[in-house]
Amino acid sequence: MAEILLEIKKMSKSFGPIVALKDVDLTVSRGEIHGLIGENGSGKSTITSIAAGMQAATAGEMFFKGQPWKPDSMVHAQAKGISMILQEANTIPNCTVAENLFAGQEDRFSRFGLVNKREMNREADALLAKFGLEHIHGKDVINKYGFEDRKLVEIARAVTDETEILVVDETTTALSFEGREILYRIMHEMAEKGKAIIFISHDMDEILEQCTVLTVLRDGEIRGTLNREQMTAPGAVSEIRKLMVGRDIGDKFYRSDYDPSCSGEVVLSFEHVSTAQIKDFNLEIHAGEIVGLGGLSGCGMHEIGRLAFGIGDIDSGHVRLRGEDIKDSVDAVGKGIGYISKNRDQEAVILEGPIGVNIVQPSLRDLGKNIVIRPSEEKKMSREQIDLLAIKCTGENQWVNTLSGGNKQKVSFAKWIAKGSNVVIMDCPTRGVDIGVKQAMYQLITDMKHEGKAILMISEELAELIGMADRMIIMKDFRAVKEFTRSPELSETDIIEYMI
Amino acid sequence: MGKTMKNSSLKTHIGDIFSFAGLLLCVIVFSILSKGKLWSAYNLGVLVQQTCVYAILAMGAVFIYSMGYMDISLGAQVGVYCLLLILITNASGSLILGFVSILAIAILCGLINGYVSVKLGLPSIVTSIFLNAIFGGAQMLIMERLGTNSISMDQKLTFFKQMPVMLAAIVIIALISVFLYQYTQLGKLVKGIGANETATSISGVNTTKWKVLAYVFFGVCIAVGALFLTARTNSAGKGTGAGYAMDIMVSLLLGGMPLSGGMRSKISAALVGTFTYVILANGLILSGVSTTLIYIIKAIVFMAVILMTCRKKDGVLPR
Repeated sequence: MAEILLEIKKMSKSFGPIVALKDVDLTVSRGEIHGLIGENGSGKSTITSIAAGMQAATAGEMFFKGQPWKPDSMVHAQAKGISMILQEANTIPNCTVAENLFAGQEDRFSRFGLVNKREMNREADALLAKFGLEHIHGKDVINKYGFEDRKLVEIARAVTDETEILVVDETTTALSFEGREILYRIMHEMAEKGKAIIFISHDMDEILEQCTVLTVLRDGEIRGTLNREQMTAPGAVSEIRKLMVGRDIGDKFYRSDYDPSCSGEVVLSFEHVSTAQIKDFNLEIHAGEIVGLGGLSGCGMHEIGRLAFGIGDIDSGHVRLRGEDIKDSVDAVGKGIGYISKNRDQEAVILEGPIGVNIVQPSLRDLGKNIVIRPSEEKKMSREQIDLLAIKCTGENQWVNTLSGGNKQKVSFAKWIAKGSNVVIMDCPTRGVDIGVKQAMYQLITDMKHEGKAILMISEELAELIGMADRMIIMKDFRAVKEFTRSPELSETDIIEYMI
Repeated sequence: MGKTMKNSSLKTHIGDIFSFAGLLLCVIVFSILSKGKLWSAYNLGVLVQQTCVYAILAMGAVFIYSMGYMDISLGAQVGVYCLLLILITNASGSLILGFVSILAIAILCGLINGYVSVKLGLPSIVTSIFLNAIFGGAQMLIMERLGTNSISMDQKLTFFKQMPVMLAAIVIIALISVFLYQYTQLGKLVKGIGANETATSISGVNTTKWKVLAYVFFGVCIAVGALFLTARTNSAGKGTGAGYAMDIMVSLLLGGMPLSGGMRSKISAALVGTFTYVILANGLILSGVSTTLIYIIKAIVFMAVILMTCRKKDGVLPR
């Protein structure tokens, strides 16, 4: 039995009335790669952020290397041996790589208050080489590097000789295939040296491949802990999903068919569209077709979604619906296009308003054809959508800001289903949504396809595109670089190389 | 579940409860302080006269405030319309011509107010400052040319001074406002624009069109308000309309209107608010408070209302 590094006993955390963690017990031993998995809001990041000193627990104790552990800041925790890499970018812009790596430790290189830049750069290069990151140089300004390289610099900064536990919080979503390989290698090297990793990820495959122990959380409580044998046992995946969701969601998660056929009628088309960044983009979407648009976040796919809805300036070319140019969002909605924005709270719903008002808003111009809008009709429309999408609420008068994320997202779907839009552009439709709701949404999207609607699904999650799209377009640097047709053989690794 | 529902419905109605309680408090306090004079036949007439103009203006203003916008050109507009109404009516002998002219100008100003702020991307308060300056200047210019301090109407507008007519005007404008606000796109969309303009526009709403229409309706209300004000005083001068923009704003706040607009906006705020405001102002005078002090008391009431309503998390200050 390996020595226990970190022991958490009866930890609870609440934010006002919301309970994020309830009496959680967790032990991390030397040599472990300890996976944490659970739906959004299940408490994964709360546990690690408390252990890494970002916030304090409401109740409970922690022991690190047998001693009571009460870190008062991330810097303190890192100095004592618990480091954390976050999902969001965390480097300091306009500084050099070396300055980023040694931020807070300038004293090591300074004499009489002057920092010896050359020595610092040399040491930075040595450090980077240790991690196999020879392509990054200490003297360069960090802005020169892409998001991924900056993430790798963060890793090099977080992992020092003193690091005993490294927390990797959903970092891999930001990394390409090679970046992930580097991170996995670092993780395994550390584990072999008798250190420990806490690995948080949404990606089930990755968890199953990398972790030696897996803890499943739901609603702030630990629902199960699996060792390596249990994780690799047949049927483990559905067992883990069941623990995460609390019920058996079955095998039917994405679309079950692999039939990419659709009608031959072109509904939405991009013809040689160029903007300040996009050059000569072409795309045709047919009735009854789900077109997936994938790539890294900055690849231009979100811009394509906005252009399809008439938002943004086009320098040349045409975005057309059944041959007619789309002028602006008013025109787009009039032509039967719906748009579910990625920025849900700012653009897709009115938070400070009732569910009913939100659902009905795009349809007001239809209801108001004869000037008078009957409240009974509005109510009927909202009720229908609330029932259809199973929006959890007390009624159409409940305000959207009191709903959970998944239910808010359902409201933004409901707007366009109520409107009867024939073309729906979905930008990250399942972002921040739990597995249970996700499954319901995938079913809904499949139904929309069968009703003959044209769907443009933009997503950063490849698995969802593979699972849902008839055709996938991969974008990179504002260009479409590769197209895939729906097939059961298609895997993320086939696609990833085109994205980076 | 039952408990949370009760809580949330209490929350949504707490504003209404506050404003009605305020009105009731004013009525009780000033009934006592004025020793019943508040309800004398003469004073009731005064109350209705004052409320009539304020209520009509405030109901138009609700459409603007719902979008989270403000208008400070209101007073100067009222002043110029009163002057023009008298001048045109005296010159032509036709009240109808006079009213139609100011109505046309008011609608035109509504269009300008709406379009200019949208097209130039200016906050509407900036265009209303501009209009305020223009109308204030016009008022000065007209009076300078005429060389007097005030002008009066040749014909007496006794019809519009009758209590039943004034009450009917309040009721008719209220019915029209409630209809537009509750049963047409206009009301629903001005609230939507106030609550989240981007989301409303992404729902395929031509926000420019509805903003302009809201200003046009506001313009109509200003013209009607100017007619009743002229009927009441039978004259107009340099000071006509001064302070009205602020009075309307305070009235709406007293009635529970959030200054940031949005879904909690309501027409009843205009009615409850103006009644409260008028009784407050009138009651203070009847209770023997000197007119010089009334401004300071109004200011204190204004501060108190702001503090009570704005310290909520969702805030009610304008953008």
